[in-house]
Amino acid sequence: MTTKATKTSEATMVLQQKDGVEDYTRVVLNILEDFASDKDRLEDMRRAVVNILEDFTAEKGRLQETQRAALNIMEDFAGEKIRLEDTQRAALNILEDSAEEKTRLEETQRAVLNVLEDSAEEKARLEHAQRAVLNILEDSAEEKTRLEHTQRAMLNLLDDFALERERAEAVNLRLQETVDSLRRANEAADAANRELEAFAYSVSHDLRAPLRSVAGFSQVLLEDYFDRLDEEGRDSLRRIIAGTQKMGQLIDDLLNLSRLTRAEMKLQPHNLSAMVKKIGEAKKKAQPERKVNFSIQEGLFAACDEHLMEVALENLVDNAWKFTGKVESPRIEFGSMEKDGVIAYFVRDNGAGFDMAYAGKLFQPFQRLHGMTEFPGTGIGLATVKRVIERHGGKVWIQGEKGKGTTVYFTL
Amino acid sequence: MKRQHILLVEDNPDDVKLTLRALDKARISNKVVVVVDGAEALEYLNGTGKHAGRDPRDLPQVILLDLKLPGMNGIEVLQRIRSNDQTKLLPVVILTTSSEERDMIEAYSLGANSYIRKPVDFQQFAEAVQHLGLYWLVLNAVPWQDG
Repeated sequence: MTTKATKTSEATMVLQQKDGVEDYTRVVLNILEDFASDKDRLEDMRRAVVNILEDFTAEKGRLQETQRAALNIMEDFAGEKIRLEDTQRAALNILEDSAEEKTRLEETQRAVLNVLEDSAEEKARLEHAQRAVLNILEDSAEEKTRLEHTQRAMLNLLDDFALERERAEAVNLRLQETVDSLRRANEAADAANRELEAFAYSVSHDLRAPLRSVAGFSQVLLEDYFDRLDEEGRDSLRRIIAGTQKMGQLIDDLLNLSRLTRAEMKLQPHNLSAMVKKIGEAKKKAQPERKVNFSIQEGLFAACDEHLMEVALENLVDNAWKFTGKVESPRIEFGSMEKDGVIAYFVRDNGAGFDMAYAGKLFQPFQRLHGMTEFPGTGIGLATVKRVIERHGGKVWIQGEKGKGTTVYFTL
Repeated sequence: MKRQHILLVEDNPDDVKLTLRALDKARISNKVVVVVDGAEALEYLNGTGKHAGRDPRDLPQVILLDLKLPGMNGIEVLQRIRSNDQTKLLPVVILTTSSEERDMIEAYSLGANSYIRKPVDFQQFAEAVQHLGLYWLVLNAVPWQDG
């Protein structure tokens, strides 16, 4: 066994040198040729070799199996390696993916940060807005306060208004009462006016009729019984007749005065200077023996009723004419002056004048300051003037001094 | 020529007497019929009432009509005279104490032929009556005078 073992070990050695197997076989054959003599030994040897070969083949098969196994292992390992690589690749992929993920995450993070930044801005803006809203709310509160003030003021105003209205209504009521009383007064005045008219009408008829009888039958007596009356009787009848005429004149004057009150007025501009001039000329013509100096301011125009104004001026000139009847150089003046910003017209004479103590009486009908024999008249002249001026909405007043003359002023 | 008469409508006897005297003084010798109010004046003209049987065709030459009469006043009498075909052309002279313009205007607008105001002074009245007589009784020709 030691040899075989040496040879096997030698073979194993050769075998171990992978490609040296065939070289090993030739060496063996050479040995066999050398050892031909020893046939048995050789046979034994050959058998040993065959055994070895058989063993070797078996060994070779085992080696191949091992080799195959190794190869398999190697293959498996290779598969394992591929798998590992795959895994590694996968891991790498994963890592790559993770990097992407990271990038994405970073982006997301950045985005989130941006969002957060934006959100911060948004928040700031929101805060601004909120502050603004608060301010607005504060303002609104102020506004509300102001509104309430206003409302309260309005309510106060309304209260005041209501109060005012009450007061106005009270005033209105009073006004209405005044108007009513005025209307009543007006109606009364109208009634009085109608009454006056009726009275005037009545006077015109009824007072004159008996007067006419007195005058008429006195005349009959004078005419038919002249011879049977002595001078005193005739004188009495003449006085009766004169009295009736005088009374007739008074009635006419009264009627004219009442007519002045009732007559309709037509206001138009008229030349008062021309009116006075015309009246003066008529006076001169009627009494040419009187030398009266007229001084008339030219171009005095006034809005007035022509007829009524003529009546008034005629009365004034008549008076001036009459009361200058006994003076040396009679003078009648018509002019104007300003009195309290209003134009006052005047008729002035240098005649008999009067005592100012009686000035108030002069504008009343039938008031006379002179004896009939001194200056005849019915005493209706100035009352007529007053009526006319008052109907024009004007004023009339008189100034005079006994023996120095008279001035009658009037406004329109 | 038939002597025409005058119808005097006057309620005041004094005025009647004075008017008659004035007419007489003016030598107007026409017959004067006096009636004292408006109603009687119409009865006279129409031949009715107090004057029943009178021939209404025998019309006066002129009517002297006072305005102020008891009852129916002069203006109404004038209206009735003018609204009657028989009397509408009769000359009517208003004789009155009134100097009221409205009376005068009303009288004329209703067809009065003349309007005379009786003055207080009798002599003036007599003169007025004389003028009136001369005009209405002598000068004025009326259509029915020829018939």
